[in-house]
Amino acid sequence: MRTRSLTALSATVALTLFITAACSDDDEPSTEPAPGAVESPGGDTGAPSGDPIVVGSTLSLTGAFGPTGIIHQIAGEQFVEQLNESGGLLGRPVEWLVLDDESDQAQVTALYERLIGQEGVDLIIGPYATPNIISAMAVAERHGLTMPQHTAVLAPLMTYECQFPAWSIGPTPNEYVPDQVFDALESLPAPPQRVAFVINQGGSTDFIAQGSPDDDSDPGAVSIAEDRGYEVVAEIRYPPDTTDWAPIAQQIRDADPDFVFNSGLAVDPVNLLQAMEQLGYRPPMMFSLFPAPGPLLGLGDVADGLLSVSIFEPNDALIQQAGPEAQAIVDEFQSRAAAEGLPYTAFETQATASWNAWEILVAAVEGSGGTDQQAMCDYLHENGVDTTFSGHLEFDPDDNNFWPSTQGLKQIQNGDWVMVWPADRAAAQLQPPVG
Amino acid sequence: MTTLQAALSGALVGGMFAVMAAGLSLTWGMLRVINLAHFGLILVGAYLTFELATSWGIDPILTIVLTVPLMFLVGAGLQWAFDRLGVEEFASLLVSFGLLIIVMQTVSNVWSADFQRMPGDVNPYATQSVSLGRFVFPAPTLIAFVFAVVIVVTADQVLRRTFAGRALRAFAEDRAVASAFGIDHRRLGMVLAGLSAASAAVAGMLFALGNAVTPSTPFEWIGVVFAVVILGGIGQVGGVLLAGVLVGTLSAVVSATWSPALSPLVLFSAIILALLFRPYGLLTVRGAR
Amino acid sequence: MIAARGLGGFAVVFMALAALAVWREDLGLPMFYLVLASTALFWVAQATSWNVLSGYSGYFSFGQGAFVGVGAYTTAVLGGRHGVDFYLTVPVAAVFSAVLALIVGGLAFRLRSFRGEIFALLTLAVPFILAAFARVNSEIDGGQGVVVPVPEFPEWMGQFQDFLYLLNLLVAVVAVAAAFAIQHTRFGWALASIRDAEDVAEGLGVATFRYKMLAIAVTGLIGGAAGSLFALQIGFVTVESVFGLTIPLFVIVMSVLGGRTHWFGPVLGAVVIVLIQDRLSASGFEGWNLIVLGAILAVLVVVAPDGLQARLWRRPWPAVAALVLVTGVLAVVDAWGTPLDWFVSGVLAAVAVVLWPGHAPASAERRPPAPDHVDLGEIGESTGHSGQQLPENSKINGEPGEVLVECREVSRYFGGVRALDGVSLQLRAGELVGLVGPNGSGKTTLVNLVSGALRPTSGTMAVAGRDIVGLAPHRIAHVGVSRTHQIPKPFESMTVRDNVAMAIMFGRQPRPLTAAREEAEQCLDIVHLGHLAGARPAEINLHERQLLEMARAIATKPKVLLLDEALAGLNPAEIDAAVAVVRRIHASGITIVIVEHLLRVVNQLATRVVVLNRGRLLADGDPRTVMSDPDVIRAYLGRHAHARGS
Repeated sequence: MRTRSLTALSATVALTLFITAACSDDDEPSTEPAPGAVESPGGDTGAPSGDPIVVGSTLSLTGAFGPTGIIHQIAGEQFVEQLNESGGLLGRPVEWLVLDDESDQAQVTALYERLIGQEGVDLIIGPYATPNIISAMAVAERHGLTMPQHTAVLAPLMTYECQFPAWSIGPTPNEYVPDQVFDALESLPAPPQRVAFVINQGGSTDFIAQGSPDDDSDPGAVSIAEDRGYEVVAEIRYPPDTTDWAPIAQQIRDADPDFVFNSGLAVDPVNLLQAMEQLGYRPPMMFSLFPAPGPLLGLGDVADGLLSVSIFEPNDALIQQAGPEAQAIVDEFQSRAAAEGLPYTAFETQATASWNAWEILVAAVEGSGGTDQQAMCDYLHENGVDTTFSGHLEFDPDDNNFWPSTQGLKQIQNGDWVMVWPADRAAAQLQPPVG
Repeated sequence: MTTLQAALSGALVGGMFAVMAAGLSLTWGMLRVINLAHFGLILVGAYLTFELATSWGIDPILTIVLTVPLMFLVGAGLQWAFDRLGVEEFASLLVSFGLLIIVMQTVSNVWSADFQRMPGDVNPYATQSVSLGRFVFPAPTLIAFVFAVVIVVTADQVLRRTFAGRALRAFAEDRAVASAFGIDHRRLGMVLAGLSAASAAVAGMLFALGNAVTPSTPFEWIGVVFAVVILGGIGQVGGVLLAGVLVGTLSAVVSATWSPALSPLVLFSAIILALLFRPYGLLTVRGAR
Repeated sequence: MIAARGLGGFAVVFMALAALAVWREDLGLPMFYLVLASTALFWVAQATSWNVLSGYSGYFSFGQGAFVGVGAYTTAVLGGRHGVDFYLTVPVAAVFSAVLALIVGGLAFRLRSFRGEIFALLTLAVPFILAAFARVNSEIDGGQGVVVPVPEFPEWMGQFQDFLYLLNLLVAVVAVAAAFAIQHTRFGWALASIRDAEDVAEGLGVATFRYKMLAIAVTGLIGGAAGSLFALQIGFVTVESVFGLTIPLFVIVMSVLGGRTHWFGPVLGAVVIVLIQDRLSASGFEGWNLIVLGAILAVLVVVAPDGLQARLWRRPWPAVAALVLVTGVLAVVDAWGTPLDWFVSGVLAAVAVVLWPGHAPASAERRPPAPDHVDLGEIGESTGHSGQQLPENSKINGEPGEVLVECREVSRYFGGVRALDGVSLQLRAGELVGLVGPNGSGKTTLVNLVSGALRPTSGTMAVAGRDIVGLAPHRIAHVGVSRTHQIPKPFESMTVRDNVAMAIMFGRQPRPLTAAREEAEQCLDIVHLGHLAGARPAEINLHERQLLEMARAIATKPKVLLLDEALAGLNPAEIDAAVAVVRRIHASGITIVIVEHLLRVVNQLATRVVVLNRGRLLADGDPRTVMSDPDVIRAYLGRHAHARGS
């Protein structure tokens, strides 16, 4: 009897669940029908009218990439809203249809096919995280669509000519990053001599550290350091799912470097610094490639002086450089991120990349005068784009559209990230090693 | 020197694996429930410690005063449901797998998929350590090891010395006979499952003490912790500690002297060998089960 | 026959589904339906691949990701980095993956006393090892992952998605057809017997190791081929994207939902899950997908552990009606959603109908009454008249008095315990030997040694002149040794008739199923179980289960039959009936060794008694002489004269 009623219950639940799910299709469309679209508060620009232009994309809103995915969602929503308030695109309102790929690469292709085939979107924009972007790029290429993308920086892999990166470390990031780091270090009065490399084996971090394994003329950070005369005292590679950091910390301590180059991701440097601190050891200076910015600040003075890469930090000096509207964008983003409960609300590299991608998309449509994909692609190749935060971008298909990088270095100083390199974009001086 | 230091700190890390594995091993051995949801409980334990410590300012170790009773109830309730619905050994693996996914996704919906980590001001243990001559022992793993020893020794003694413990072992040997002797296996089972879940709360606290947590962390535990359970011998708490220490030491030594990249390769190959040649646990001479 | 007709059916299904893609535009089918169908087909192939090993044989694997990963990596690396033609990489991927599967199986299945959980954990470790291996050797994928080039494909196929759909369709249909064929041939029966009671199957002559290896190889082949299509679909392959836990998770949920013992189960499960997932994410329930998936798994295992397929087969028409009705009404009303929503609603309604509790045929009612004429008195005195006799076969049994089983100085130690210590023993054809001794004297060990379940620590053993030490139990069964188990272990998923037919199908002279079923009826008649031929083992009592053990044992046409406490736990009337059956089997010319605690029975039946004590041979000879031997009385009768079986 009990099993029976249970069966009945579960059957009913299954059905109700579906019905609610299906009904919500009506009530709660996942599109972003920008609130300002219909009743624009009679500003100097006319209210957009006519059929909306629909932009489709997926983002990793849940799953492993979720924390960063949501930054791109907030930035994108803010951009679309602002766009509609200032008259839309070609006078038409813009809708953004964003689907959750659950950080699952296998879903990305199917979802982009759905956006294009089923939902009939007019434009697409990339998802978040390199593997997802490359999967989406394959779909875009099959359909001949122009796809601005936010964060895939592995230039050699991004071979589709109508893919436009919004964050560029140039055509050879594996040379750009180490050269810049060592240039910065050598500007110090007493540059470090002994370098320890600590490398996450994941795709992009591995590439920047090692370069291409097939081609000796395509070196990474390790060989560049050797060529520049540094003594490489340790080269430690760890798998992306490392949980025990003590042995790595121990190896670093025993190697006694002046500088730790961590080609790592997310919370890797947090775990490393903490494990080293437990051994009573603090490296004189450390760099980490793509860390999650928030948790590092949570470490307090342990993380002070840490270097990383950045294309934009909301430092006063940089906001001044970016122009009058930058401050409003940065502030608005901060309040939206806080409302979403994000642990770290600054408008930095990720949000900037998002903003760039949208500006590329808008420029392509306005410049080509429509949503013809090939025309958009051609327009971008010929004219480039003016962006708020990264200046004018030129796209050269020979470099897979990776424009000359404006990426610099940031450092944690007094509990906050500040841009310190190159000098013309710096908001503060690069601080030398402690002790 | 490096090897010895790595071996020692690896052994301490093994203590944490042992705490994670102890409850799993006991419910599997005694109640014939392979409870994958145990990993979910550890995860929730870790998040609760994080939440209580950061929002209420409670000392992270003391959070177990709240989480342990809570988890005890959850564990006992789960066992009650398993028992009432007649979920057997194999089905329990699948059901609890489903529960684990639900827990992980719910945690993600509540706390977001972002890394959560207690900041230094609420968690002073994260960066502390104890030095003994040249050797350094990080506080979080040292605490984990102490908990492991206390939990394992207590559980072992309770199972050997008390009536309830002997009744449980009798029940594990032969359910029908034990029931005939008037052992109330339902209540005992709920108590055991409750205690096992309580140990998950402790394990969660210990993990949060030294690590950042994300909702997908359990997938990083499953392989190693199951290996510890099997190597220790299913249902044998003493073996769990030994196996945990061995696994932790092996992994750390390979990491420190060879390369962290090889650590999973060596570890999982060793686990496979152990499964093949000692399928009933390192301490068990022959298939006594 | 069934298999041949079924395979024709699969060809038709393939044609029909392929036509959808080829004439997609004429049919007005949106491209996205094809994308969704491709996803479903990918999972159908994966779930089917998993099911051949884990569903059919019961060895649960958490390592499906390893096969997908090897397949995907092979295609990506060969195609993307070495310029190998895609079409060539697919079979290579399948073979690589099968080789991996064979290595895993070769390691795992070599072990005796192997437990299913250990296999599950072992397979869990395999993807971790492969992932670490690929990361360490970054020259494999260049360290950054590999972009998979799009292959050339014929123009008539249309767009890339049509092409991908057709490829997925081909692999999925081949996979399902293979699973169908396996289920309906000896292969499938062997796997089912392994799932139900592996050691029994082996003892009856099923070459379990070989069938498990075959099954895991099929799993690897399909998994690898589908994995290489996965590489094409995602377009960019990294360690993280393939060697994860998502794939095993999904295939397990799908197969459990659909049903693991039938070829159609994984198909059903994969389609339902893919549809639910798609509609959930289309409805903005981002954070709910996995929760729903987990809930489906947890609830279904409790509520419908046999899966949807078994229930659908029980009431197909209401389910079809629900599907058509709900889809149709929604389509006519056209107030909400897209055609896909209507269809998915229909599917869910059908699932609900299938799961809805109703009048499941009560098993107890099915049991037919025992035939009247077999009253117990008659059985008690019968020597073979009331039941059908086995045909006497002198060729099988050899000349009376010839040595059939020869043990010389056989010992078996467990650690320091000497369970059997230097026992020498000859059994002659036509004897009915009672093997007795106190608990722990080594009786069951001896039975296990002769049947091959254990290997002797030292000593030699021969049956019918053939050395059997080291032979696998199924080989020994083919030499002519058969046994029963103290605790009956029937194949629970088969009828009583098929339990016996299994033994005939895999016996010394393998027979096809239909012939085996006919012969099985004869064996059942000998033990008076003919009236229960159609029942399930779960529906019969202990006595009948023990008779079934005997029927199964004689069905292998043994030269020597080892009865291990075949009378334990029976009441006196049942014992008399069983004794009569044993006599009748003996009368048919089979040499019997009966291990028994009941001395009354041994005295009554045996032509010779062998007494073991503490692993040594204590006495051997005529029952009356042996029973009056003072040593025997001291060792055995003195303490255990009234002991009954455990």
